[in-house]
Amino acid sequence: MPKAQFIDPASARKKQTLSFDSIPVNIYDKSIEDEKANFSNDDLTRIYKDMVVIREFETMLNMIKTTNEYHGIAYNHPGPAHLSIGQEASAVGMAYNLDINDYIFGSHRSHGEILAKGLSAIHKLDDDALYKIMKEFFDGKILSIVEKNHKGDVKTLAIKFLLYGTLAEIFARDTGFNRGLGGSMHAFFTPFGIYPNNAIVGGSADISVGAALYKKVNNKPGVVVCNIGDASLGCGPVWEAMAFANMDQYHQLWEGAQKGGLPVIINIMNNMYGMGGQTCGETMGYDIAARVGAAMNRENMHAERIDGYNPLAVIDAYKRKIEVLNNNKGPVLLDTLTYRYSGHSPSDSSSYRTKEEIEAWQNVDSIITYGNDLVKANVLGKNDLEAIRKETVNDLTDMLKLAINDEISPRMDLVQNPELIGDMMFSNESVDSMEPGREPEVAIPMEENPRVKQIERKERYAFDKEGKPFSGMKQYQLRDGLFEAIFDRFYKDPTLIAYGEENRDWGGAFAVYRGLTEALPYHRLFNSPISEAAIAGTAIGYAICGGRVIPEIMYCDFLGRSGDEVFNQLPKWQSMSGNLIKMPVVMRVSVGSKYGAQHSQDWSSLVAHIPGIKVIFPATPYDAKGLMNAALQGTDPVICFESQRIYGIGEEFREGGVPKEYYEIPLGEPDVKREGNDITLLSIGATLYRVREAADILQEKYGMSAEIIDARTLVPFNYEPVIESIKKTGRIILASDACERGSYLKDLAQNITEMAFDELDAPPVVVGSRNWITPAYELENYFFPQASWIIDAIHEKIVPLKDHRVSNNFTNAQKIIRSRKGV
Amino acid sequence: MAEPIIMPRQGQSVESCIITEWHKKKGEQIKKGDILFAYETDKASFEEESEHEGILLDIFFDDGDEVPVLTNVGVIGKEGESTDEYKPDKGAGTQDSASKDKELDETTPMEKESEEESAPYQQPDQETVRINDGKISPRAKRLANDKGLDYAQISGSGPEGRIIERDILHALDTTPKITAKAKKAMQEEEYSAPSEGSGLGGNITYSDLSASNNVYAEDHEVMPLSNIRKRIAKAMHASLQNSAQLTHHMSADARNILRLRKIAKKKSEEGYAYNITLNDMVCYAVIRALLKHPEANVHLIGDSMRQFKKIHLGLAVDTERGLMVPAIKNADDLSLTGLSSQLKAVVEACRKGNIDPDLLSGEAATFTVSNLGNYGVEMFTPVLNLPQAGILGVNTIIQRPAPLNDGSFGFVPYMGLSLTYDHRALDGGPATKLLAAIKTEIENFDITTLD
Repeated sequence: MPKAQFIDPASARKKQTLSFDSIPVNIYDKSIEDEKANFSNDDLTRIYKDMVVIREFETMLNMIKTTNEYHGIAYNHPGPAHLSIGQEASAVGMAYNLDINDYIFGSHRSHGEILAKGLSAIHKLDDDALYKIMKEFFDGKILSIVEKNHKGDVKTLAIKFLLYGTLAEIFARDTGFNRGLGGSMHAFFTPFGIYPNNAIVGGSADISVGAALYKKVNNKPGVVVCNIGDASLGCGPVWEAMAFANMDQYHQLWEGAQKGGLPVIINIMNNMYGMGGQTCGETMGYDIAARVGAAMNRENMHAERIDGYNPLAVIDAYKRKIEVLNNNKGPVLLDTLTYRYSGHSPSDSSSYRTKEEIEAWQNVDSIITYGNDLVKANVLGKNDLEAIRKETVNDLTDMLKLAINDEISPRMDLVQNPELIGDMMFSNESVDSMEPGREPEVAIPMEENPRVKQIERKERYAFDKEGKPFSGMKQYQLRDGLFEAIFDRFYKDPTLIAYGEENRDWGGAFAVYRGLTEALPYHRLFNSPISEAAIAGTAIGYAICGGRVIPEIMYCDFLGRSGDEVFNQLPKWQSMSGNLIKMPVVMRVSVGSKYGAQHSQDWSSLVAHIPGIKVIFPATPYDAKGLMNAALQGTDPVICFESQRIYGIGEEFREGGVPKEYYEIPLGEPDVKREGNDITLLSIGATLYRVREAADILQEKYGMSAEIIDARTLVPFNYEPVIESIKKTGRIILASDACERGSYLKDLAQNITEMAFDELDAPPVVVGSRNWITPAYELENYFFPQASWIIDAIHEKIVPLKDHRVSNNFTNAQKIIRSRKGV
Repeated sequence: MAEPIIMPRQGQSVESCIITEWHKKKGEQIKKGDILFAYETDKASFEEESEHEGILLDIFFDDGDEVPVLTNVGVIGKEGESTDEYKPDKGAGTQDSASKDKELDETTPMEKESEEESAPYQQPDQETVRINDGKISPRAKRLANDKGLDYAQISGSGPEGRIIERDILHALDTTPKITAKAKKAMQEEEYSAPSEGSGLGGNITYSDLSASNNVYAEDHEVMPLSNIRKRIAKAMHASLQNSAQLTHHMSADARNILRLRKIAKKKSEEGYAYNITLNDMVCYAVIRALLKHPEANVHLIGDSMRQFKKIHLGLAVDTERGLMVPAIKNADDLSLTGLSSQLKAVVEACRKGNIDPDLLSGEAATFTVSNLGNYGVEMFTPVLNLPQAGILGVNTIIQRPAPLNDGSFGFVPYMGLSLTYDHRALDGGPATKLLAAIKTEIENFDITTLD
């Protein structure tokens, strides 16, 4: 909501008609003779050769999948293989103009794109650089395998390296490009600019846009190509990605080097089918996918359909489109028409299409057609074509032999190292800046910031010398703790950016970012469209490329909108990459109250369930600052839950208040907030304050001293302090605002039972929210755990309290009745 | 008329704002739309424009003051107008916290009071104590074991009558303390302590343990079971676990066989090759009875019955090593003398330990006789040797009053017979018939069989 942009009702209400520029379709119309000025014979031959490599690679996999054999070599590959036989020209054409600074992202059907991009990079790199990349990758492990017995130059060695690394990855070998943890649908090799492929349809869209954002924000050379299928145009996150990529602010509000559109090509690899669904004629309505560009911006996203069966047509289009990007006029939408002869996967019998259709496309096969054209144009002789194929078969056969040899290409040894994958789930690094040496771009010195000045006047501990609380306004609040940590990092790490809904000007819906607008240029703090999938997905792409980022989901309830990004992408890429990629994404998620069923849910348990994400939930200003500092210092994805109920709370536990200096609180350490002897009360999030209320009642009415522990972090979690406490008290109540069924508290309770069974004087008891919708604010006390619930639960389940009368039914019978009803 | 300037309310949750800066001074001329002052909430900064024209007559708060919303912060009006009526009660802003503090003060002594009152919460409330039905928390159990306390006698005060830690602590408080040595002894031997000890302050000492529990002093040594003992233990236990056995008792008039025994003894002393014993005769009678009642000459195995055409008689033999039950194969083919010599032979073999082990298994015999008559046993319930379905216990002979042939009463020797049978294989009727048949055979034993 920039004040500079005036929305004039007079012009907005003016009568007018929208018209669209035309979108070119298959406009390329040149022969090889025409192109001879632009391509040497070697170039033209290389294009042919690269296509043959892809065709043969995919054919080999197809034979292994369907006959367990390739040229007499037997092998069984139980994993996936989504082949792109027929699509070679579109892959090679796409990669032809790209160098290693240009990144491609792909789909489940991307072997062809990996190979094409790799072959293009190998061609463009000089021998020394090429050898250095191979030598340094996994300490030369792959190089040493393919280098043995190699005769020939560095480039032919590099081709073997590429084929072997990809193949070993597909076969889940420890010597694959991603140590076998990515596999067919996720293989990639970043030193050649090949970025993750994605097994979720359209999954690469927002990630690619994030990668382009990284390039723009940090002035990095190169463009990003997002290869997704035509069927992905039915996926919401793809539209969100395009909305995010097309924001007006890049042109109208961003300044300096960052002014202008994102350098990204959304390339629809349009093979006309999404599994068995025919996108044109059955499952979609756009007719020609390029039409979609007209919906996105004034330039139709420079959309074009190109003939993906002619490599030269694709090369021509990319050349033109890269220029568009270089002129800051991106993004671009390409509709690369292609066709796969192979099924969706080898188990697909193509029951949804006719034999005639497949044959018609085979009759215009790009490799045969282009080969014949080369012969006609006297670039190659007929024998040369066959020689190229034979050489490819030989190379592939050699690499296949190596890749399936269990001694040369072993799988990860989980017998010797049972924790190997476990140790790869997080990178656990401590890094001040993701790009040391570069000065962060800021607008004003820290001390001139109005928020900083405001905080200076605040009391960093909630109580005065007599123990009386300062007024709320005077107290240093939880939101101030978050602000200080984030503000500090913006001045340390030039790559750090933050965005989400209402992040700029407004300062975030809950004023955590108040003061940041004054401090930061637009490209480091901006408002995003209301597109949670894109907010999360772009952050992932930004981090994959090496940046640190704080995306914000305004309400936890909106997390579902970014489900794939949070559940499938954010947690997985560090380990799926074989630890090559870091994921310094700190996602802030605010947990509501007061606003009913779709604005008040604590879903921390959902994300805690997913392996690969760290989850924090600070409940005091001291913890908020310390945990946020630690999260921002790390290289792992962290989801930070923040309860709206306590953004304004002061530091009520830590005498001495919140330090002005930088400090970190290590993730995973629960904190004893109050010591006690008779019962342990473990809370997550804002429930801390309800738990404290309960502890006061226990002390006053029942003479019981409760030990209060704030979990602070859900993942990781150190049980030791909790078990130590139970050794003392023998009893534990666990409470949070999450709905009780399946909540993370249940997990804690179960583990505590296992680990401290003999210490327990009663089973651990979980007090969570009811398994209902969150009702209106006025009824919330019947939904969220209250102090009285905790007392009742103790009385019913742990130790009967003298003269206590329960107001809630915690009996087993009631539990069974509720559970039978599913509530 | 003078108009107050009010601190606006910026949103439902805002209770107060801080005046960051006054842009106008007291006495200054104000126009509509002039910025009067800037203020801020937790979340945002604002500027307040004047809605009135006139002179800024008074300012009630300075820069940096926190002002409750909807409070008058100043007054605009004409020269000379009074502003007193608009002056806010400056205490109002802090009144809340002041009254809170008061409340705190008031509750402090109450807290202390309630603490004292409820301090003994650790003691179970008598009303909530319920009879324990075996529930005990792991922590309470471990504590009880550590302290050598027998928690079986303790009532639980936890949910559902569960014994919880405080119950054990309470029990420990109200029972005498135990010395370390006594505790150790108790833990190792699992004894309970006497209710009062003889040590200092009523402590239970080791000597109390041994005095009150001298049975449990060092009065035994632990010996491993011999193999045969193990086998017997297993077979006997299995028999009682796996069958439906019961015993019928009956007595046989023993005058006849006692007379025959006298004759046999005499003959033997005269040099006859055989010394037929009472046991030989009973066994012979059993075989005769079984031939008439083959339904007891069976093995019950799972869902099927093995009906034997021949009788293999088992005899319980007491040896130094333990009980052995050798079988006489095809005992129905033997004459009384033949049976007698075979029985002697197997008894001998058992006692020497060179018996063919195949003959010792339960499967080897079809019916067993266990004779405790020599030991004076008057009645017992022998245990079946599975899979056999019957075993006859032979008891001592006792004199019982009975009608004599002449119609008068006198003392008659009776031999007790106890038949244990497997009710799964055999009903009470046939079992009784077999027992009666044995009795008849004994009572009518034919002397000619002696040859």
